[in-house]
Amino acid sequence: MNKKRLGLTGFAAVIALAVSTLVAPASSAATEIVVWADESRGPNLTKVIAAKGDWVSGYTVKVVTFSSFDALKDAFDKATDASGPDIVVGGNDWVPTGAKSGKLAPLALTAAVKARFNPTQFLDLTYKGKLYGVPVDINNVAMIYNTKLVSAAPKTFGDMVSYYKANKASKNLKAGLCVAGGGMSWGAHSVFSALGADAYQFNSRGGVVYGRGFNATTFGKNVRTYLMDGKKSNGFFPATDTGCKDNFLAGTVPFAVIGNWEWKDYVAKGFTMNLMPVPGVTEGAPGKMFGSVSGALLTTFAAKHGVEAGAKSLLTNFFASTDGQVRYQALENRPPAEKGAQADSTVSAGQRGFGSAASLAGIPQIGAFLNSNKGGANYWDSAPAYWTAVLVDGKDAVKEASKLSAIWRANTDGGKGDL
Amino acid sequence: MTYLIRGKVAIFLKVILLTLLGSVLLLLAQSAVAQREYVIAAFLGFSVLALALTYLTKISIPLKFFIPGILLLAAFVIGPILYTVTMSGFNYKTGNIISKEEAIIQVKIRGVEAAPSGLTYDVKLGKSSGLPAILVSDITNLQYFISTKDNRVSVAPGQVTLNEYGVAITAPNFIALNESEFASADKIYSGTRFTFDDQSFVALEGFEAGIVSQQILEYLPTQDVFKNLIDGGIYRDNGRGNYALENDDTVILEPGWRAPIWFENYSKIVTDPRVREPIIRVFIWTVVFALATVLTTFALGLLLALALNKPIRGRRIYRSVLVLPYAMPSVMSILIWGGMFNTEFGAINTLLGTDIAWFSDPNFARVAVILVNLWLGFPYFYLISSGALQAIPSELLEAAAIDGANPRQIFRKITLPLLLQVLSPLLIASFAFNFNNFNLIYLLTGGGPRNELDGEIAGATDILISYTYKIAFGSGTQDLGLASAISLIIFLLIASISLYGLRKSKVLETFG
Repeated sequence: MNKKRLGLTGFAAVIALAVSTLVAPASSAATEIVVWADESRGPNLTKVIAAKGDWVSGYTVKVVTFSSFDALKDAFDKATDASGPDIVVGGNDWVPTGAKSGKLAPLALTAAVKARFNPTQFLDLTYKGKLYGVPVDINNVAMIYNTKLVSAAPKTFGDMVSYYKANKASKNLKAGLCVAGGGMSWGAHSVFSALGADAYQFNSRGGVVYGRGFNATTFGKNVRTYLMDGKKSNGFFPATDTGCKDNFLAGTVPFAVIGNWEWKDYVAKGFTMNLMPVPGVTEGAPGKMFGSVSGALLTTFAAKHGVEAGAKSLLTNFFASTDGQVRYQALENRPPAEKGAQADSTVSAGQRGFGSAASLAGIPQIGAFLNSNKGGANYWDSAPAYWTAVLVDGKDAVKEASKLSAIWRANTDGGKGDL
Repeated sequence: MTYLIRGKVAIFLKVILLTLLGSVLLLLAQSAVAQREYVIAAFLGFSVLALALTYLTKISIPLKFFIPGILLLAAFVIGPILYTVTMSGFNYKTGNIISKEEAIIQVKIRGVEAAPSGLTYDVKLGKSSGLPAILVSDITNLQYFISTKDNRVSVAPGQVTLNEYGVAITAPNFIALNESEFASADKIYSGTRFTFDDQSFVALEGFEAGIVSQQILEYLPTQDVFKNLIDGGIYRDNGRGNYALENDDTVILEPGWRAPIWFENYSKIVTDPRVREPIIRVFIWTVVFALATVLTTFALGLLLALALNKPIRGRRIYRSVLVLPYAMPSVMSILIWGGMFNTEFGAINTLLGTDIAWFSDPNFARVAVILVNLWLGFPYFYLISSGALQAIPSELLEAAAIDGANPRQIFRKITLPLLLQVLSPLLIASFAFNFNNFNLIYLLTGGGPRNELDGEIAGATDILISYTYKIAFGSGTQDLGLASAISLIIFLLIASISLYGLRKSKVLETFG
């Protein structure tokens, strides 16, 4: 055989051999439901689901854990038919974008399943009238006070400011109240609200009031009164959350807004869960805190993978059940969203404290508004800028509040069609 | 050893290696086909053919050396550029991500709603007369029926067996599925509409529950429209990737799909003030930032190179120390500098005894960005300036000195021109690099500060590439089409500036 023929034979052999590796996969029904979760929820879901393997008969459940919540979001944004999960445990603000992009699938719950939850929790997971998941756990913040510094719970916002001013030097306080959890928009909403900036307003029937911002003058004047000395911050409330947790734990800040996902850190340092809403300027009118939920969201990939009914059953049998949430939250340590699980005797003091705080003055975080930038800007992105503008740059508290209020008004006006 | 390069053994080894490589590529192609990425699959298939032809025939000897590079260049440079060019002509953003076929399926699914009655039932899956069926239990009213795709048959309470919850599990002419059969039945049962009445059907919500539902939106394929079966509204393809209501095109059905809008993303950059105004501001700052960076890093690098060009004591130690910022990973350096500029506890404010809000004030933030980039960039220019200085013939400098030129004149008239002749391409490359210095901006300031309350979209330190990133991957709406258009403009700008700069410095003519 000459070299040319040898080469051509080789060419033919390469193509034939390479093509022969393309064995068509055997067609079989999918029996695996894939759930994606972040670095905290993933391992706990894996343990709970493995411990009781028959949440959905005939299926196995595979939990894929991502290194962080952001990594999970990034992966879900890029998920394809082949790689995507059947259920993703994500934030309520994922619902509008996931639904718009055709990655989340709507589901309808039976009345019996719906009754297991507070109806406002479904607002968080609703987009254009359709529900895209079931509430899994409550994300909320509450104010904690250091009993080594403060003997009794403050009754008004002014009580806290007075305490700070009186003890700033003697106790080497770095601030009076700060935000340790949830950031200067979501976490600080209870402070906004306590001073009169109630972004989320509800009518007597529990419906959202659209197109009405908060009273910027009242709020701005309260900011001037309680947080400023002339044009400068009085140091009571820092404009950022940097160092808040460490300072509170070190005893140099008496009051802090903390998130329920980290309450164990405070308990470990000897703090009791003496949680309360941020007191308002008048007694008995505390600030409202967010009581949003994370959701187990059904994806459109489930139908493509042939496990739609199985995934829906997993949502109702595990994620939305008392048994499932009790078992899961025993590890995850967040307040469960399901009513039966909330009442369960195994729920810890921290979970119960946050659960009570959420029910006391909690308002839903409506996902449909979160990503709305109708009117030019987004309230959630803009709110932290208020604190910087006023407390750092010394801009007028009322004027800046008017801008923020206008942004909220535009967002809700634009977003109401999305709810 | 020559048998490994030539002859039958060599061909045999080549066949083995190429088969392995070809197999991997074809498996990737198969995966691409499964994900409907036909262009990628075709390219991978072409690559297998090209590799086999090149290495097993004598079609071209030079190609044996170039083909890996050509294929990789095509895959990772030309491909992405072509994709970016293509996507810049599409309405490709949140809500318009999937294909039209997929969008139609999704709209149909969302066009199903729970019936106004709100009825939900416990169900048992099974078969009736060989067809997929459900045994439905109304446990409140003790009513039961078997439903298939085509009909519904009532079953008397006495004819069913109930479980402990009062749910019927057996009935005449109904064979229940074993739970082990659920997985294989999932697709069929999920896709079946079980008869309820003329207007509505029972849709499964899991294996245990059925919800009485109705189709609100109907797709009419011949006219390519959706019809609302309740109010009669017609939704037509608006040519921009959505079905829009005939009488009010602001009402659209979601999800939409990627649709060609040709040059609209480009025209938006000029005509839409919400896009145009931030871009102009960002562009000006990008040019200032890139120029300032090149000038400051070059100036400091050259100054140090001149200082250390003379034999001074400890020169080696100085040289080693000066290169350290370059040796350290820039990500680490940027994050450390970020901490040092912190207003409350940063080292810089502590050392200066100030309380400058470095990252809150636009001007201070810009200064901080340039200072950090100076730290990161001067060792590079120090190194290349040192090398270039040593390449200048000492006779020239000596002759000038003998002719009476002072050191400043020697530097200005001889050293600097000679240096610039050599370093011009590197200065231009540095400008182009910093024009797109995403890492620094993203890690140091995130593009901020941004006055959101005044409706600012771009931050004070955002450069074009970081602003484009925000458009493409920011929170809320991700506009990949617009980001692609801006990316292409950045590409053209840098290409033009680089070409102009190279021509001006006559480097191309010198080396061409």
